[in-house]
Amino acid sequence: MNRPRHRLRTILTLAYLNGIIPIQTQPLYLVNVVASPFSFLFFIAIASQGRLLGYGVAGGMLLTVLSIGTSLQTDMSHYKQDLKLQDLLVASPVEAPVYVAGLALSELMYSLPAMALFIVLLYLYTSVTVLGAVTIALVLLLVWGFASALGFTLATYFQDVRETFAISPLISIGLTVLPPVYYPISYLPGWVHPIAYLSPTTYAADLLHGAVGLGGPDLTGGAIDWAVLIAFTLGLLVLASLKARWREP
Amino acid sequence: MEPAVIARDLTKVYPKARAGPPALSKVNLSIPAGQVYGLIGRNGAGKTTFVRIAATQLMPTGGSITVLGRDAVADASEVRRRIACVPQESRPLYFLDVDQLVYLYLRLRGMDRSEARRRTDSVLEELGLSAVRKKLVNQLSGGMRRRAMVAMVLASDAEVVYLDEPTTGLDPLARREVWGAIRRASQEHRTVLLTTHYLDEADALSARLALLEGGEVRLEGTPSDLRARIRHPYRVTVEGVLGRSELQSYGEVSDIASGFLVFARESSARDLAIFALGKGARVSMGPVSLEDIFLQVVGRSIEEEASEGAES
Ligand SMILES: Nc1ncnc2c1ncn2[C@@H]1O[C@H](COP(=O)(O)OP(=O)(O)OP(=O)(O)O)[C@@H](O)[C@H]1O
Ligand SMILES: [Mg+2]
Repeated sequence: MNRPRHRLRTILTLAYLNGIIPIQTQPLYLVNVVASPFSFLFFIAIASQGRLLGYGVAGGMLLTVLSIGTSLQTDMSHYKQDLKLQDLLVASPVEAPVYVAGLALSELMYSLPAMALFIVLLYLYTSVTVLGAVTIALVLLLVWGFASALGFTLATYFQDVRETFAISPLISIGLTVLPPVYYPISYLPGWVHPIAYLSPTTYAADLLHGAVGLGGPDLTGGAIDWAVLIAFTLGLLVLASLKARWREP
Repeated sequence: MEPAVIARDLTKVYPKARAGPPALSKVNLSIPAGQVYGLIGRNGAGKTTFVRIAATQLMPTGGSITVLGRDAVADASEVRRRIACVPQESRPLYFLDVDQLVYLYLRLRGMDRSEARRRTDSVLEELGLSAVRKKLVNQLSGGMRRRAMVAMVLASDAEVVYLDEPTTGLDPLARREVWGAIRRASQEHRTVLLTTHYLDEADALSARLALLEGGEVRLEGTPSDLRARIRHPYRVTVEGVLGRSELQSYGEVSDIASGFLVFARESSARDLAIFALGKGARVSMGPVSLEDIFLQVVGRSIEEEASEGAES
């Protein structure tokens, strides 16, 4: 039996059944994913009279990819608690990392239209180099990785979907509102900086700001940003593989 | 042939229930390969707990369990390749149609396209779901939905299939369609571990049965073993003419709408039948049903619990 091919098949099947099929039956799902990053972008662009548009786009992309983690967690909690889908898949050849990768890919489908709009905005209003584009892709890939690992781990702990609704917003605020995602860190008062540096999204945003041509990365040419982001992503992947409750204790 | 599932002193105490009695305590069961095995018992007896541990969904807290010769705790990934399960109260993904549900499940398990297609078509046919194959799952009735879940796992190539109350909520005809599919699975030498509250179903399908009560195995064996194991393996109904006092010496008497039901040993049952017929009563006689066994065994333990409670 060819294991890597089987795994890939399973991942694509999950992405198809949880991504493409629901979108085909209800295309409005896509609007939902576009709505919140674009309303932020709109406010920021208007309030700054266009000066912070680049920050709005960078922040919007980050928020969109982070929200994949939230959707993943909500879907997974629902599937686990209400449908007993996790139990169904545990008792099958589908392995936990494959399940997470498949659903993470399916959630990515929902954000593709939003990402396409952001790319158009970047093209029209900023001067992104090839290196910048590669940076954006890699940063978002890492964010996608840690958001999914976090979403999965949390989902396996919740006993009830309603707990999800209580906790997810807190995590979202910690990751997207407090850290300087939508504006340069220099806008924050000095005493807030140490707090902002606790969040991995601060480092991701710093790299993105640099990539869209907004001066940065502020931190030693990006080396620290990359190191923290990669370490955080790996850390969460390790945490997920050790602590996520695929089998109930 | 080696048993498909072997549990030795299997024990489960749920993390949040440290104070109460264990959900399973030192359960020893050996489930033969290639047969249907029934697990019965009251609500809370531990059936689902056992199934979930055997299906690698739940950790035991003591003892051991092997599935197809592999340790279900240490070698879970080997076991998982060869099993399938319909959990109790599981529901299908509602935005799929019936065909997609079965077909995509098989694809997720790694089956190739043509094989998955072939098996999907045949299982839908077999379980009477062909007519609704293009219907969205959330437009089906509850029983149809349950049938679609059973179809999914029976279509798989799993060697051990766990069905936790697969027929709850099905009409009598639909139940028999599911029975047919379960029997066919065992004819293909697959092992089916089934829990059910329908004791006629357990009787009709299971080569062997275990009756769980309070996390322990109370009775185990073939349906006829179970009959041989209880005190009163025969049931006699007596209608008309005779009163309770005339019947009491033959066995355990209880009231039914049309007269009396007496549980008795074989010889007393025969004597009672001859006596009652001689008096002109209407009599019917036969071996106890699984339900009678269940009530005798579980009923007695409830009485014991009650009297222990009264003493303390
Ligand atoms: N997640 C859990 N946490 C704590 N206790 C549990 C949990 N699940 C089950 N129990 C307890 O374990 C015991 C066995 O439950 P189990 O679900 O195995 O019973 P069952 O025989 O399947 O019952 P039913 O026929 O109602 O499905 C019960 O006392 C139940 O309250
Ligand atoms: Mg149960």
